[in-house]
Amino acid sequence: MRKNLLLIVWLVLIMLTICTALVSNSTLVTSVSAIAILVLSAIKFFLVSNYFMEMKRAHLFWKFSIIFYLIIVMGTLLFILK
Amino acid sequence: MDTSTINSKNIAYPPGGILLWIIIFLELFTFGAALVAMVLYSKDEPEIFHQSKLLLNTTFGAINTIFLLTSGFFMAKSVENFKENKIEKATFFLKLTMVGGVLFLLLKSVEYYFKLQAGLTIGYNTFFSFYWMLTLFHVIHVVVGLVILLFNYVGFKRKSTLNLEDFEASAAFWHMCDLIWLLLFPVIYLLF
Repeated sequence: MRKNLLLIVWLVLIMLTICTALVSNSTLVTSVSAIAILVLSAIKFFLVSNYFMEMKRAHLFWKFSIIFYLIIVMGTLLFILK
Repeated sequence: MDTSTINSKNIAYPPGGILLWIIIFLELFTFGAALVAMVLYSKDEPEIFHQSKLLLNTTFGAINTIFLLTSGFFMAKSVENFKENKIEKATFFLKLTMVGGVLFLLLKSVEYYFKLQAGLTIGYNTFFSFYWMLTLFHVIHVVVGLVILLFNYVGFKRKSTLNLEDFEASAAFWHMCDLIWLLLFPVIYLLF
């Protein structure tokens, strides 16, 4: 299961990367596409840290630190862009 | 080789070790702060940032993202095999990880070459100052990561004493390069 899990995560990451490229080339309103691009990137960041870096099996403190970091950085970027 | 497992549920032992995770968070906050500064500056010169972004090759950026993510996947597979004491498979995946890193550097070099040919140097404008500083700083991390992985590879080949914590720390450093790129790519190549 775990062997397949890594492969599935990798496939999802590649799909999200393609989605990000499509969103950036779309005719969406700039602010909407900016939100979509940052949210997709945050999901990719979370997947890499959780599955590839195995934070999934780490102490809650480390899991929350990653989420806290994403909220702070992505939140600040979105706040400035709005 | 010591492939015994570590109890990562303990707060002092995240995968890769607590010291490396302190470094990872320091790096992430540094890059995060620089990206926030870049977006703040873009508010003063929105047109310059937009026109400059159009001079970047988004396809190169996307392909490099795929190179790093794939390399990260192979790294995770290598650690997985190491834990199962399948050293040959771990070595094979480690080699693929390094190939991913080298491909990233090659494509980045091509991108830099085109930028320099076009005169888009670090002093061209504010956007390109950020572009060069952030991407070059990231490239340095990738080079350091590759050197660390090379040491691990040589260790595997010589069957020397390499323990799981050391290998996980090397893997965590390599994944950190992925994480940094996952922040840089959308902001620099897509956002403005």
